[in-house]
Amino acid sequence: MSDQTEKEPNWKQDFPIERTQSTKVSRRDFARFLCLVSGGLAAGSAYVAVKANFFPPEEVKGEHFVCKAMEVPLGGTRSFVVEGSNIPYILIRLEDGNWRAYEQKCTHLSCAVYYKPGSGQIVCPCHEGFFDAMTGEVLAGPPPRPLPALEVLLNGDDVYVKAASPGHNKNITLKT
Amino acid sequence: MSNFKDAQNKAHPNKTNTLMSALIVILILNVSMQIWLLYTGLNNALGQNRDIALPAFIASLVLFLIGFFWLYFLPMGYRKNKKK
Repeated sequence: MSDQTEKEPNWKQDFPIERTQSTKVSRRDFARFLCLVSGGLAAGSAYVAVKANFFPPEEVKGEHFVCKAMEVPLGGTRSFVVEGSNIPYILIRLEDGNWRAYEQKCTHLSCAVYYKPGSGQIVCPCHEGFFDAMTGEVLAGPPPRPLPALEVLLNGDDVYVKAASPGHNKNITLKT
Repeated sequence: MSNFKDAQNKAHPNKTNTLMSALIVILILNVSMQIWLLYTGLNNALGQNRDIALPAFIASLVLFLIGFFWLYFLPMGYRKNKKK
């Protein structure tokens, strides 16, 4: 043991790191950190690719009863959940008599959206996102994608939903 | 025997300074492109457009490898060989 070490207090021997060494980040360390971030982003992209290709989200299977048509007035809405899933959906009876069903989660940050009666628009109150109630397309605001839609079927007075047909993003227009 | 790293470490500080700055700028550019690739891949995957995710991952991996081997050119500065 050298003489210098003996003169130092015990805590310095236990924690032999200088203040500048602990607070200063050198450019060399910063470059290494950037490389680490780069690796993390590549890993994130790998996760997205694997999830998209091998574990796609399950689609709604079959037809599901939602409610009686008379329970929803013109311009009214009804929230529902499909059996076997916990994704919230919103059923809308537009003023012109058309029925629409969309996922109630905004495609921006998953806030609950609502239909603004009379405007033909679905609104996300969190960041002022607007969707077209007829098609689910984004009209304004930060949402990057249209709202995922379900197809609405009317069987007499009963309202059913099922997965939207492939290549057919928009709901079939049904009038009562 | 001298090699590339020895010669680089003995270079003038102005030179290593410029090299370090260039390295960091390129790494930041790489990371920016990777953020964009991740955003695009995720956005398309969530929008039922799965074809983008794999090419985005491959591009992101290539950028990471470029950045990783880029670190070989990181100047190490003067090594302290003297022991107290």
